[in-house]
Formats: sequence, C-alpha cells, structure tokens
Amino acid sequence: MLTAQVQEEIVPYGELLAQEAVPAALISMRDIWRTYQMGEEQVHALRGVSFDVQKGEYVAIIGPSGSGKSTLMNIIGCLDTPTRGRYWINGKLVSEMDDDELARIRNKEVGFVFQTFNLLPRATALHNVELPLIYAGVPAAERRERAKRALMAVDLADRMMHKPNELSGGQRQRVAIARALVNHPSILLADEPTGALDTATSREIMNLFERLHEEGNTIIIVTHEPDIAARAHRIISIRDGRIEKDERVK
Amino acid sequence: MAWEGSREAAAIALDALRANKLRSALTILGVAIGVITVTFMVSIIQGLNRAFAEQIESLGSNTIFISKFDPSFGRPPTAEERQRKDLTVEDAEAIAREAKSVVSVAPVHRKLSVSARYLDHQTDTPALLGVTPAYEFTLSQYVGRGRFITEFDMSERSNVCVLAQDVVRALFPFDEPLDKEVRIDGRPFRVIGVMEPLGNFFGQSRDNTILIPLATFDKYYGGIDAPFPETLFFIIVRPRTRADVANAVDEITDILRRRRQVPAGAPNNFGISTQDSLLDFYNQLTGATALVLTAISFVALAIGGIGVMNIMLVSVTERTREIGIRKAVGARRRDILRQFLIEAVTLTLIGGLAGLIVGEVASLLMNRYSPLPAYVPLWAIIVGIGISALVGIGFGLWPAWKAARLDPVEALRYE
Repeated sequence: MLTAQVQEEIVPYGELLAQEAVPAALISMRDIWRTYQMGEEQVHALRGVSFDVQKGEYVAIIGPSGSGKSTLMNIIGCLDTPTRGRYWINGKLVSEMDDDELARIRNKEVGFVFQTFNLLPRATALHNVELPLIYAGVPAAERRERAKRALMAVDLADRMMHKPNELSGGQRQRVAIARALVNHPSILLADEPTGALDTATSREIMNLFERLHEEGNTIIIVTHEPDIAARAHRIISIRDGRIEKDERVK
Repeated sequence: MAWEGSREAAAIALDALRANKLRSALTILGVAIGVITVTFMVSIIQGLNRAFAEQIESLGSNTIFISKFDPSFGRPPTAEERQRKDLTVEDAEAIAREAKSVVSVAPVHRKLSVSARYLDHQTDTPALLGVTPAYEFTLSQYVGRGRFITEFDMSERSNVCVLAQDVVRALFPFDEPLDKEVRIDGRPFRVIGVMEPLGNFFGQSRDNTILIPLATFDKYYGGIDAPFPETLFFIIVRPRTRADVANAVDEITDILRRRRQVPAGAPNNFGISTQDSLLDFYNQLTGATALVLTAISFVALAIGGIGVMNIMLVSVTERTREIGIRKAVGARRRDILRQFLIEAVTLTLIGGLAGLIVGEVASLLMNRYSPLPAYVPLWAIIVGIGISALVGIGFGLWPAWKAARLDPVEALRYE
C-alpha cells in the first residue's frame, strides 16, 4: 500500500522528465509497468523497466518463463499498452496511443515473428506476406511485387503459391519473416522464433536473422535459450518484471 | 484505399464461406426463406390489389349499385336487412326522373340460376336477369349480334331472350343461336340476340347469363316477393360523368329516403355502393391482411437474421487467432469490423437473391396454375435486396464488433 502511494507520487515527476525531451533512440522505454488484475489481486508483470535500443542493434531479451519477457515483447510490439510509464518508437510516444494508432505502428514500425509462425492457414505464402501491405493500403500490383521480392529475399521464390500446411517448419518461419519485413519496419521483433524448430532449421533461421542484421535491420529476439541469445550483440535479462542485467556481448 | 480494403474483405468473406460450405448454405437457406416469404407475401398482396382494381374498372364506367341490402362481400344479410321493404321499378323510374346527375337507370331482377335447354344440350348454371332496354347503355354491356330487348318486348311480356357467351357455348356449340327456341325452366323462349363477351371477375365468368324482359321475368318468377338470395331486385345507375358520382349518390339517397319514408336522422334502409366504395371496402379488408402478412414476413426474416448472427458468432470465435494475426500486422478495428460485416452481408445477399428468384418463380407458377393472381413489382425486388443487406448489417454488426474489439494479445494466444 505504502509503495503504491510512493509510486503514484513519482509518476508526475517521470512525466515531467518525459515532456522535457523526446529520446533520440529507436526504442525508448521509461519506467514501464504492466499490471494485471487477477480477481482481487494485482499482478505486476513488469515493474519499472527502462532501456533504449538504437537503430541497427541486435538485442536478445532473455529470462525464465514468468519473468515478464513476453509481456515486455507485447509492449515493444505495441500489441499491449503499459499500465504506467512512457514508451517511444522513433520519437513517437506510443504509450499514449489509441487502438487504431497502435495498429498503424504495428503495421509500419514493427515486424513480428512468432514461435508458432501465425500464418493464415488458408492463404498462400504470397498472400500471407501481402497481408501487412493490404492494411497499409498498398495497391494490388505493387503489393504483389513487394511480397514476391520479400519471399525471394528469404529464398522461397519457388514456394509462393503454397499454403502453410504444404511447407516445412523452417519454410513457414521464413514466410513469417518475409511477412515481417515486407513493409520495411523499424524493428524486427521475434518471439522464440526457433521454439518450434529442430536444431538444423533453428541454425538456418538464426543465420537468416544474422544476415538481416548485417543488412541494417534492428532485431529484438525474445528467448529463453542461452545459445540463441548468444548470437545477439546485446542481452537484456529479465527477472520478476525487472531488468536484471543489460550487457553488450559483441 | 477503402476500396482495396473492401475488395480484400469481400475476397476473405467468400473464402470463409467456401471453407464452410454446408454451414454457409444452411445460413443462406434461412435468409432465403425469409426473403421468399417477403417476396411471396408482397406479390400476393400486390397481385390481389392490381387484379381487384382492374376487375372493378372492368365492371363498367363508374356505375352505382342500389339494393335493399347494405354492400357486403359475401356476408349474409342481417335480419333487419331482410325485413326491409323491397325496392321497386317505380323507385328506379323516380331516380331516372328526378336525379339530375344521372343519365340512365336500369332496374334488374336476378335469379341466381336457371336451367336452359336446347334440343339435347342443357346448362343449369346461368343466372337469369330480368332487364329493361336501358340495361345496355347503363352498364355499357351491349348486344353483339341480333337485337336487345325493346319497350315492345316489355309491354308484350314476350318470351324472348338474349344469351351471353357461356350460354351460347353450352347450348349452341355448333348451331346458330339466333331465332332458335330454347327452354328456360321448361318455358319456351326465342333467342333474339347474343351479348358481347365480358370476361372474368375474380375467376368467375361474367358471361354466364340469360337476359329476358323484366316484365316477362316478373310474370314467371312471382314479382319481387321471391326469397333472397335466390332472387334479388337491384337498380343500376349510370351517372353523367365520373365527377358526378358523389352528387348522384346524394340525389339517389334523398329520393329513396323520401320514397321509403326514412325518418330524419335514421340510417338508410337500403344500400348504395360505387366502385370507389367497393375499392375502399376492399382496401380495408386487405389492409389488415397485408399487415398480418407483413408481420409474418418480418418474423421469417428475423429468424434468418438470427441464423446469420449465430453463424457469425461461431465464425468470430473460430477465427479468433486469425483476427489476432491480422491485428498484429496492422489491421485496425474498422478493418476487422468491415471484414466480418461484409461476410455477413454476403451471406444475406446470396440468400436474398436466391429467395427473390424462388419467390419470383413461385409467383409465376401461382399466376399460371391457381386463380390467385400474383405480381412482384420492381420496387419489391429492390426492397428485398435492400432488406437482406440490412439484415446482414443488422445481425452481423454485433459479431463483427466483437471481433473488432478482440485484444490482439489474447487473440494470438487463442488455441
């Protein structure tokens, strides 16, 4: 109770700070809290997380299950909004945005790669990759062209008209990566991208991420596997909703 | 951009419908039945209205009908009506003499059916009308061949008759009827003329009549005391023009009230009806029916709509993850809302079109194979399509809104 009051007094001060300067970093989080109401109880999934990510970084967020890393990733990806705190992408204060504005940010700034791929099962690879462009309002011909190029970039030129169930796990994940990249987002955000893949395919996907990073993409991977995290250049460790460690490894 | 989105949404909708063919078909069937009901009901109401208006027009030019009974559609007369004094030929003469807005008056004495015979041909259905020479002009029903009844026939009470088409067909399938002797209820009559055909009134032929002089009719059928409804005496009046109908009715009412000594303030003890009053009465009658039929149609449509809503709710639940994916890659609420609304409207529009086609075919068949007329006006088709689209929007809105509001994190986690 006492701590809650203290926090409430701190917030206006934090807001004051926030108004003074819009951070120049690609991602900037300031004192992010995410609280869930579970019946009577309040569960704090994130307890004041702050960090910056610069353009072109390759970051791994690691932590055991229940550490709050999935919540953090949902907030980074603008699927969820923080209960408290401020969050900027490219200088835009997304923590104050409404549903539709967040949808625009997800569409233009963020490319998602999920553990379970999350492709539309009844659509072809090409159509799956076109999806973000549809919601961006890109005309059909240009959309098709860009989706083709994105699929070629992940070496799937010969699988464009296949549906997800006609593709291997690695191929599906590459379709998902093509979809994530097709609208040239600022951040490529991957949630356990190798969690559903075997070792060889995992390596193949991680090599792809490495290549994408070398091409200048900003990549954030959320994982609980140390050897996946080890390929990143910076590792942020989360425990109990707080940043435990934030270290540059390369 | 909105157009792109709509096209994408329509493609998704069709794809989703194709993915669940049976389910979609059943839902479409529900809507189709609703629209069939509406189309069918409208077509019957419209058909009846149109047929009735045409039929009434065909009865003659704005004639006024007077009898001792109040106008009714098949309602048996009340005891009070039965006890009223009969109208007389003198009443008809008084109207012809005194009413300024009237050009001609035809007293008619009718017997519902008589048997007529020529050699070995016989018919038992024709109505026998005792008429005066004024009948032709008053009702605009003219003799086609031969001659009509004259004043001379009246004064002589001669046994002559004019046959209408049905009777000619029954008694003289091959022979020339003029100047032949037919037997009407066993009595000999000479055929002097044949009426022009009149056609049908509500599936009932108007050509199944035999006309004889009123005086001759009264000679054989007991004056005007014969019991109702077997025989009925009535007066047909032709007003000067259509504009004179109301005046003529007033004048006739005055004359008859005076002649029948109706006290001031008491209701008429006779019935006057015009085509307009027939139409009014008919509209009253069908108005209530139309209301009930419309209500039934809308219940049917609502049931179809609930089917749509049900299926859309199932569809939204089933595709929670898909909605999550779409939201994750940038679909806004309105994009999802539009997708599911278009899906619902597609369902109902297909149902609506199917319903319209079936309804149209049904009313065509009905026109062909039943006496009930049916008619689907263009506006009913437009309204039918519009209504099915509205049903789609109305009943699809809630499921679509549910889909649009889904939390993307929750939706992506959904198995």
